[in-house]
Amino acid sequence: MPAKRPARPRRRPPTRKKRTVRTNLTAYGFLCAALFCFALFAWWPMIRQIIMSFQETNLVDEPKWVGLDNFRTVVEDPAFGQAWKNTFVFSGLALLCGYLIPFTVAIVLNELRHARAYLRFVVYLPVMLPPIVSVLLFKWFYDPGPGLFNAVLDGVGLPTLQWLDSTDTALISLVIVSTWMNMGAGVLIYLAALQNIPGELYEAAELDGAGIFKRIWNVTIPQTRLILLLMLMLQIVATMQVFIEPYMLTEGGPENATVTVAYLMYQYAFRFGGNYGAGSALGVMLMIVLLVVAAVQLRLTRDEKR
Amino acid sequence: MKPRNLAIFLTAGLVMTTAACGGDKDSDAGGDVTITVACQPAKTAAKQREAWNADVAAFEKAHPGVKVKSTDQQPCFDPKTFAAKLAGGQMETVFMVPVTNYADVIAKGQAKDITASTGLVKNFGDIKQDVRDMLTKDGKVYGVPNVSYSVGLVYNRAVFEKAGLDPDAPPKTWDEVRAAAKKIAGLGDGYVGFGEYGGGGTGGWHFAQAIFSRGGEMVVDGKAAFNSPEGKAVLQTLHDMRFEDKSTGSKLNIGWESLMQQMAAGKTGMMLGAPDVVTDVVQKFQGKKDDYGIAAIPEGKASLTGGEAYMINPEASAAETKAGLQWIDFQFNTPGKGRHDYARGKANGEAVGVPNNDYMGDSPTGQKIAEDRKANAVLPVEYYQPYVEGSKSVEFKLEPEKAQEIYAVLDVAMSAVLTRENADIDKLLADAESKANAILAKS
Amino acid sequence: MAETAHTVRTTERPDAVEQTRKVTPPPAHRRRKRRRAAWADGHTRTVVSPLELKSRWGTRIYWAVLAGVLTVFTLVFLFPLYWMATSAMKSSDEIAQVPPTLWPENPDFSVFTDAWELFDIGTLLKNTLFYAIGAWLFALAVDVTAAYALSKLRPLFGNVILGAMLATLMIPPIVVMIPAYITATDVPIFGWHLLNSPWAIWFPVAANGFNIFLLKRFFDSIPDEILEAAEIDGVPPWRVLVSIILPISRPILGVVSIFTIVMVFKDFLWPLLVLPDSEKMTISVGLSQTAGAVPQNQVMAGLVIASIPMIIVFFFFQRSIMAGLTAGSLKG
Repeated sequence: MPAKRPARPRRRPPTRKKRTVRTNLTAYGFLCAALFCFALFAWWPMIRQIIMSFQETNLVDEPKWVGLDNFRTVVEDPAFGQAWKNTFVFSGLALLCGYLIPFTVAIVLNELRHARAYLRFVVYLPVMLPPIVSVLLFKWFYDPGPGLFNAVLDGVGLPTLQWLDSTDTALISLVIVSTWMNMGAGVLIYLAALQNIPGELYEAAELDGAGIFKRIWNVTIPQTRLILLLMLMLQIVATMQVFIEPYMLTEGGPENATVTVAYLMYQYAFRFGGNYGAGSALGVMLMIVLLVVAAVQLRLTRDEKR
Repeated sequence: MKPRNLAIFLTAGLVMTTAACGGDKDSDAGGDVTITVACQPAKTAAKQREAWNADVAAFEKAHPGVKVKSTDQQPCFDPKTFAAKLAGGQMETVFMVPVTNYADVIAKGQAKDITASTGLVKNFGDIKQDVRDMLTKDGKVYGVPNVSYSVGLVYNRAVFEKAGLDPDAPPKTWDEVRAAAKKIAGLGDGYVGFGEYGGGGTGGWHFAQAIFSRGGEMVVDGKAAFNSPEGKAVLQTLHDMRFEDKSTGSKLNIGWESLMQQMAAGKTGMMLGAPDVVTDVVQKFQGKKDDYGIAAIPEGKASLTGGEAYMINPEASAAETKAGLQWIDFQFNTPGKGRHDYARGKANGEAVGVPNNDYMGDSPTGQKIAEDRKANAVLPVEYYQPYVEGSKSVEFKLEPEKAQEIYAVLDVAMSAVLTRENADIDKLLADAESKANAILAKS
Repeated sequence: MAETAHTVRTTERPDAVEQTRKVTPPPAHRRRKRRRAAWADGHTRTVVSPLELKSRWGTRIYWAVLAGVLTVFTLVFLFPLYWMATSAMKSSDEIAQVPPTLWPENPDFSVFTDAWELFDIGTLLKNTLFYAIGAWLFALAVDVTAAYALSKLRPLFGNVILGAMLATLMIPPIVVMIPAYITATDVPIFGWHLLNSPWAIWFPVAANGFNIFLLKRFFDSIPDEILEAAEIDGVPPWRVLVSIILPISRPILGVVSIFTIVMVFKDFLWPLLVLPDSEKMTISVGLSQTAGAVPQNQVMAGLVIASIPMIIVFFFFQRSIMAGLTAGSLKG
């Protein structure tokens, strides 16, 4: 959402620059390409998603209006509840892993005076890799036979795990891949935020006799709260679109333990020869959830800024 | 969202929905015609691709005025893009559909009615009647069958010998399968007695194969019928093999290739599969060609058949349809030509000899093809005799309605018994049954 | 949030900063300088005070933590890549060995050429590069003109349009994949079939609200006076954009460029849907389609090759990428 800038000193009052028909025309001339792209591939799909969720279409015949049938189909699917549960559990775990860990890492990194460039480079490296690379690499690590992870567990005398092949560990295995390939971005963002905290605040806190943890609690966290809030929302939005992990690693199994909402949507529309209506109905539900998340986020930041 | 934004959205939407679109394809009667044909072998199979291209050249020469363009999308039939390719005008003139999707494609009007022109495929009448029937609806023909097979038991003879089992006496019942699997797993060192799938649609597919072999049913009169003693026996046996005998390996196989790779690696004793499993294990996955034998399906009450057919794009013009059917005739249905040119296949190092396609049955053409295949065999044909003999008395069963969706439902049960020791089989089957019934009720 | 644009600039090329210097308001400017200086020294005051750090225990703990972090980071983030590369060089027997070997017995480099042919990586890379460069040029052209119009020409309903563009950021593309896909197969009004066409990639990439937002905000910080002078001289708007705005905006253009290219390289689901033809696939999709059917060491070799372009991009454009990340995070 557009930033609510406290004040815009440089902006002149709008009366000064007269909007003539000609400037308007020129402006829309400049805008038309973007309007075209947005209309076709951003705005229209959103509307069409809503329309399609009430239709049955096979792309060949004229679409049929079917009322709430698609929504009924989706809700009655036993995988439906499971998919939302998985998505939220994934969100929760990803928040834990993708939030707590990067923030802690960033705090530690910010204290270090050596090898900073190396550490920053290394932590961001997986983010640069195409996700398919990370996913296939971890698929190999998770292999219960010659896979690296079980070899390590076995090597240190721990019992081996089934990783992707067990309902207990499959979802967390996906979270691990996801965290590995995404956390670098979080770390660097937090690091930047930490570097913006004025040092005087820490000095003041120290003078008040605050220990290291108290300083983190009383200075670091309040000072980075806006970023933390924003990242919270970005994380949730990101986990709502988890797709490549279940698609490549588990195909939703075992026992639907890794079916996510995005994957279920894909499955409806593209795996069984096109139940586009049901897929769109699920998409509409996702849109609603995301809009609620966005509204809450806006609300929180607004309160925060007051 | 602000009301004003919404207004813009809505007007934009209105403008777009009212706008009509589409372009008609004119049928060019005389003169040149260009057709696109699906299923050119991938670049990774260089020699087969070369052979295909040579066939295309030969066909063009024999039919002046016809240009053939090939597509090599992998897999050849992709449910993901099928409907959209059709809607987007990207569908080939001649495309392939697996038996699981026949009914769906025909019902949706996505294939052309070719009843009047089947004569263009000269040996059409020699194709087995029941195989042709699957592509006939209300007396109209919608495709030319291309492959038909039934499932058996593929086993590794070298592994059998190593485990002290007689490779010439493969297991005939599920109890024997279980005992043999246990013995093989006893070799340790990563040996797996019986490989099975647990996801990606293949789990449910193999469930269907196993339940049919025991005399059970998948769908009867539009209702799920697999929650039966036979269905329970399938899951119970697998579960016990996995957790009591530990003879199925601990890796859950998802997707068709995973078990094929495992089989090719030479440490897996048995799996359910049609003869084409051997072709692919040897040809695509570098398994040793002398290691694999095929037996009839255990118990042998019935066997799942599968296959594929070629269909014509419903938008194709008369000239394109004609050329397309001529291509089908030339490439797929003429003994000694195209894909039935086994001498060339042998020269190219293909795994010739596997009885992997029975669509012509015992008809004159069918016999001729079988003879050709035997004459040029690369693989030890005698190792497949148990399958050929045994299959004669087995009843063939078609895939159930809504096969892919029901398979996905049964993936859950299959993955459960292969991953969870305390899996509740009765509950799994009951859940799957109610879900399958919901899917079936929609058709 | 108003200072975000400057955050971008701080890590950017000094010459670009030089050009904007005379127009940047003094307070932000001064703050920026101070932060730069701090960066140059390598540290500012952080949680731990310099005094604590210099104490005997402080030093010991510091070195222990540093050593720990270095080891853990190397193990967690680099070792997997090492494993990928060495797994590729193992024979198919060795790679299936339990327990695995740390270093291949007979490193076999021919596997890379094999994988190159097997996956047809040449075609895949060429395609992906073509999509990425095309997307970059097209998105830049579309988004820069749009941001310029919204920022400097300020047409009627400009804010409504901007709002509608930003609203799309709330709904990630995957959520509307079905209608977007159907739109691509048969574009309304125009009747284009974009399946297997590069435009199926380029159009959606250009519809990026975030790029427009970043660009617009940067353009907002360029004072109107310069433009007005040009206007009085009768310079047409497009010349103003090309010869005045774009040269000043090099840093933000760099950020947007890199982001667009990286995004196209990394995208998976959309190209999977709209580019099904194996001659037209991107590297990610191509790998995913063939990976199941080839031996494990070849898969790893394919992954190694697919990673190299992005690692190279990262080496050369590290600063832009990290700067863009910060700009992204502060979008508010």
